[in-house]
Amino acid sequence: MVTNPDLLALITTMKMAGLTTLILLLLGTPLAWYLAKMKSRFKVIIEAIVALPLVLPPTVLGFYLLLAFSPQSLPGQLWQQATGQQLAFSFSAIVIGSVLYSLPFVVQPLQKAFEQLGDSLLEAGAVLGASPIDRFFNIVLPLTKASFITAASLGFAHTVGEFGVVLMIGGNIPGETRVLSIALFVHVEAFNYAKAHLLAGSLLIGSMILLALIYLINFKPLREVKP
Amino acid sequence: MTLFLGVLLVLLIIFPHQANASQKPLRIAVSSNFSVVLQTLADEFNQKHQSNIQLISGSTGALFQQLRHGAPFDMFFAADSIRPRKLEALDMIVANSRITYAQGNLALYSASKAKIDQETIKHYSARLAIANPNNAPYGKAAKQCLISLGLWDKYQNKLIIGSNINQTFQQIRSQSVELGIVAFSQILQNNITNFLLLPSSCYQKVNQQLVIMKKSKHIKLAKKFSHFITSSEIYVRLNKLGYYNGILTLQQAVSPSKID
Amino acid sequence: MSTLSLDINCQFNGFLLSLKQDLKLKGITGIYGHSGSGKSTLLRIIAGLNNQATGTVKFNDIVLLDSSLVDTILSSNGNRRKKTFIKPQARNFSLVFQDNRLFPHLNVRENLAFAAKRCSHSRLKVSEVLKLTELESLAESSVTTLSGGEQQRVALARAILTEPKLLLLDEPLSALDQNSKNVLLKMLINIQKRLDLPMFYVSHSLDELQQISDNILVLSKGEVVDYGDIHQIIHQLNYAGADSDSDLSQLIIHQQTSLALPLKVNYNQPEDNHGLKTLLLNDLQEIHFPAHLIKDHSTNKQFITTNDLNEQVNLRFFILASDISLCLETTNNSSIVNHLHGVISKIDCSNNNVLITIDCAGQSFFANISSYSLDKLLLKEDQAIYMQFKASAVRTFIT
Repeated sequence: MVTNPDLLALITTMKMAGLTTLILLLLGTPLAWYLAKMKSRFKVIIEAIVALPLVLPPTVLGFYLLLAFSPQSLPGQLWQQATGQQLAFSFSAIVIGSVLYSLPFVVQPLQKAFEQLGDSLLEAGAVLGASPIDRFFNIVLPLTKASFITAASLGFAHTVGEFGVVLMIGGNIPGETRVLSIALFVHVEAFNYAKAHLLAGSLLIGSMILLALIYLINFKPLREVKP
Repeated sequence: MTLFLGVLLVLLIIFPHQANASQKPLRIAVSSNFSVVLQTLADEFNQKHQSNIQLISGSTGALFQQLRHGAPFDMFFAADSIRPRKLEALDMIVANSRITYAQGNLALYSASKAKIDQETIKHYSARLAIANPNNAPYGKAAKQCLISLGLWDKYQNKLIIGSNINQTFQQIRSQSVELGIVAFSQILQNNITNFLLLPSSCYQKVNQQLVIMKKSKHIKLAKKFSHFITSSEIYVRLNKLGYYNGILTLQQAVSPSKID
Repeated sequence: MSTLSLDINCQFNGFLLSLKQDLKLKGITGIYGHSGSGKSTLLRIIAGLNNQATGTVKFNDIVLLDSSLVDTILSSNGNRRKKTFIKPQARNFSLVFQDNRLFPHLNVRENLAFAAKRCSHSRLKVSEVLKLTELESLAESSVTTLSGGEQQRVALARAILTEPKLLLLDEPLSALDQNSKNVLLKMLINIQKRLDLPMFYVSHSLDELQQISDNILVLSKGEVVDYGDIHQIIHQLNYAGADSDSDLSQLIIHQQTSLALPLKVNYNQPEDNHGLKTLLLNDLQEIHFPAHLIKDHSTNKQFITTNDLNEQVNLRFFILASDISLCLETTNNSSIVNHLHGVISKIDCSNNNVLITIDCAGQSFFANISSYSLDKLLLKEDQAIYMQFKASAVRTFIT
């Protein structure tokens, strides 16, 4: 078992961000697809809901999630019944919170990519005998690969940088919900500036590498070819 | 792509996460301003008793909200007595566990001015930093003090409100604000020499209280720790750190009549 | 022989496409109409890409679309709408779009493999189709580097590899240059014969359809105007201008004679007979035309193979009515190369434009003359007449 607190915070952060990104890709892709193909008036409403975490202050989101996850409210109780564990202040809570908080960062790039792709190639696929799932995996995915990478990276990076929401619903419990961003804050509060600088530095470098990777992938001429 | 996801999945499963209850440490939620002191005391206690005490610091308000909604903390060291009382009223604490563990004092502090004395506050007209009087106990006390000294009207619109006393302290220390009211314990902890103690008759001392949460799995240990913190030995040490009445021995004490 | 039965209604662009027609699936069926007449919509409905149509579409006995009302015995609120709709991927039809719609992330071979993989019977091999469409040298190329013509060839090859029961083509040549059009048109005709693959070919260019289709469906403003043999329909359309019927005013075409005749093979004649070749009308009458019409300009080889010659394949040409002059007597002293002898069957006058229909060797010919000439020559129906037109008046779509 890892005992170094900073390393523990790193592992917790990686697990949280990794799981969040995975869930967001699984849930966000059909949502983005649905939004891209939707033509009704309701599209605007759903888009607004998806974009909400972009404008909502994290502390507000954190507070309402805290209420929702608490053992005194319905969602919290349902979770307790289903899993036997309390939802609030658990690792699951910060994953769920992160999924909601980073949702637009994954859904929006995917939606744009699907919209840009249009219908013409999909119609071609259909008359060549491809089912909708077939068309998705063999036409859509290869042509929107770069956007998927962007969406995953943005979702991951955004989750790593999260503070207010995780603090509120996670409770900053070492080894379980104390993530890097909070660990950094704790060091600052305890006047451990050296450690704080170290953590901040590594977070900065890590983010830069990640962003550079994204831009590198998007720059390559092998990315989505315009049809 | 699938390979990457596969590796990610495996990593997520390998690293064990939740330890079982008996191995879990005693978790104490502590208000930020007392966390450094408490860490020292907790470390000593851990050494002596082979225990594992973990501190989670934050603002009293936020910690209170979390406790209300099921946060798994065993003890709560608040910066005031209001929140502990509320938890008691909600029947969430071990009976009779609410007790004062420290009493805070206020001091005027500047990192930029040459020397603070009684005249300083009469002539000073720029912005004044205090903690949030609505939810930070030291801020509340600061407001009381300003009102009782008849200075509230003067500074009301020139306040820089910190979300907690630590933030206020940082603001002054970094010289982004010239002057402010902080906890005396912070003065002593940071070896500040340029300060002015505020007369204790001008405000209600900040009674910092602790409680033991009912659903804790370490109640016995918590009680032990509570006794330790409120012991006379610790009282003396806290005195020297600026809590309780330890201040009266210092030279920079001032009588209220000298102000106005 | 299969049949596609259509009985549909569909709103599009402010018009109502309304069709009740049985289309024979033999050879190439052209679908002709101006922009906005509903041609593409019809094709998309047949392909299954348009889900808005109501009515029935049946391929032989297989129902592809049926949105008819079905009474339910049980429910108290009356009729319940039950809709059968076979999705495009299940219809076994393929479509070549005007904008090739090749998959940019796959090269030529991979694009073709995409279709071949999803074909249930797989009688055709990718290599065969590459040969048919002359794409062998481009098989590994990226599709984005190809010219327009090459891209459409790939699109065609890809559609063929699904081994469809019916191939739909939506203005496949519109975006191409003339030379590419020629090449592709010849290729299509060749493929159709080799694979016995019925095709529906949508175009707004009558010349193109005249060259390629056996039957033609004429649409105007969402309705069927006519359906039948290509030459007959063109000849009927010659009269479109005559009527003051506003609906058909869209369909006024260059009045013309549409012909499909075999080439005369004369083993005694020198290869290059002053740059002219001959079509056989019957034993007695011939039509001369410029030899370059049947040559590929880039290779200088003839389009027609010896196989075609042996089988007496018909070549298609048209002669504009304005290019045919009439004469009461024949003459040998004229520079005009073609002289034909026939009988006037019909005289139509509208404004000062006179359309004369002449029967000659079992074919109908059409000539435009001025009303002045009509009076001067005192032409009457059933009158014997001579037609004169230059060799260069004999045209084909492929020039």
